[in-house]
Amino acid sequence: MGDSSRCSICGQPATVDLTQIDAGKFTKVHLCDACAQKGGATDPSVFKLADALAAPSAPAAIVCPACGFTDVDFRKRGRLGCPACWTVFADALGGLLSKVQHDAAHQGRAPAGSSGAAGPARVRLESARRELEAAVKAEAFETAARLRDEILRLEAVVKSS
Amino acid sequence: MSVRDILQAENELTHMLGAQQPVVLSTRIRLARNLSGLPFPGWSKPAQREEVAERCLRSLVALPRFRRGHVLRMAELADLDRTVLVERHLVSKELAAGKAGAAVISRDQTCSVMVNEEDHLRIQVVKAGWHLASAWQIAEQLDDALAPRLGFAFSERLGYLTACPTNVGTGLRASAMLHLPGLCLSGHMDKVARGLGQDGLAVRGWLGEGTEAVGNVFQISNQQTLGRSEEEIRRHLAGWIKHVVEQEWNARRRLAADEGEKFVDRAARALGLLRHARLLTSAESMNMLSLLRLACDMGCLPEERRSTVDRLMIEGQPAHVQALVGAELDSDARDVRRAAAVREALRDFPEAGPPTA
Repeated sequence: MGDSSRCSICGQPATVDLTQIDAGKFTKVHLCDACAQKGGATDPSVFKLADALAAPSAPAAIVCPACGFTDVDFRKRGRLGCPACWTVFADALGGLLSKVQHDAAHQGRAPAGSSGAAGPARVRLESARRELEAAVKAEAFETAARLRDEILRLEAVVKSS
Repeated sequence: MSVRDILQAENELTHMLGAQQPVVLSTRIRLARNLSGLPFPGWSKPAQREEVAERCLRSLVALPRFRRGHVLRMAELADLDRTVLVERHLVSKELAAGKAGAAVISRDQTCSVMVNEEDHLRIQVVKAGWHLASAWQIAEQLDDALAPRLGFAFSERLGYLTACPTNVGTGLRASAMLHLPGLCLSGHMDKVARGLGQDGLAVRGWLGEGTEAVGNVFQISNQQTLGRSEEEIRRHLAGWIKHVVEQEWNARRRLAADEGEKFVDRAARALGLLRHARLLTSAESMNMLSLLRLACDMGCLPEERRSTVDRLMIEGQPAHVQALVGAELDSDARDVRRAAAVREALRDFPEAGPPTA
């Protein structure tokens, strides 16, 4: 992939050679110290992610009310600020998850003491209400609509038990 | 309690000799978990990280599994000690690089929980050999014991919430460390790695992410954590590991049959080199020890010698060489020490003979 002595991103002299095996394809990337640091090149899964996220460079438009993390921070770091960020950035993350994960919906375990019927519904109801609040504050309306539907459903479950 | 105690104690990877297997060196389960309502370690303030560390360590040391275990705060350890822990796979490079991290390690070194790595908690269980079910069982027990005490960040839709989107959902990384000299020598490893990659499995080197494969050792793990249950993830990995182990044996048997004397010659040369070298780099010793391990598996050397080879692979890593001498050494001095330790350990090894396996 290009001149191996130059950084694939900025053209500075390269000091890091990164080989990624992705979907069966071997890709070689050459990086300078600065870009390798920035992209977390010691961690290939993250580097690929940071790469995919680096393209759009708009000013911060979404801020997590819980921790102050912004969408610009996410593009820079490839990691989120706090658990509430998952609600705040839900719309933006949906597309990414469909690329890096099997499916956008969790299958599997729930924390001990939270699985079952009404108990977990009540717990989830509380957190869904908090998430809705954060989503509305962040103007993530698609997420807010989904949460509203989930809350209606959960309220019915809790009521019927 | 020091890292030296960890090095010298009887433990899962260097003392479970009965559990040793020809191809699968070890099995690992990792669960990423976070406390709800607190920023992830990479975005939190020092006081918040301290709060997380306090709460997590208090809950962890109360668990029976960590009785008489080790609690290690990275800020209190020397550089060399931290590197030893990384080489032992007890903590990650990321945890060792930061000052806010801590680790709680069970006495037998089967379980290690990292606190304030990329996520608040990384629960790890390692078993020598191929033991996915029992490793999972222990991780599940730890998860169940910790969840009510700590209150994990969880969403019904997305599962366990993590700092990185590549871990969300189950937070589960299931992996096996494989020794694949047959596939490497026969030139089939690239093809196998491509097949694994196409089906959602990552292939990495000896020390995990971002490392080269030395000594023909590879770590194979699931890439995706969301959208499949823990059981499906384990079943998927197990199916592939079984397949790769079969391919490895096929490759070995073909090599042994086709190469004849050359197969024995390779083992004999590795043994000769290791027994006489005065300077050994860690890469050279790993690659030569890999050939000896293959020779033990194939009956060119007695199988019971494999444990010595495995110990030398672990103890030949740079920080281990220094920790065992008890002094910091430059790279040349390490190569001298490593060569001396290998010569001593292989002194009474018999000559390599024809394969019997």
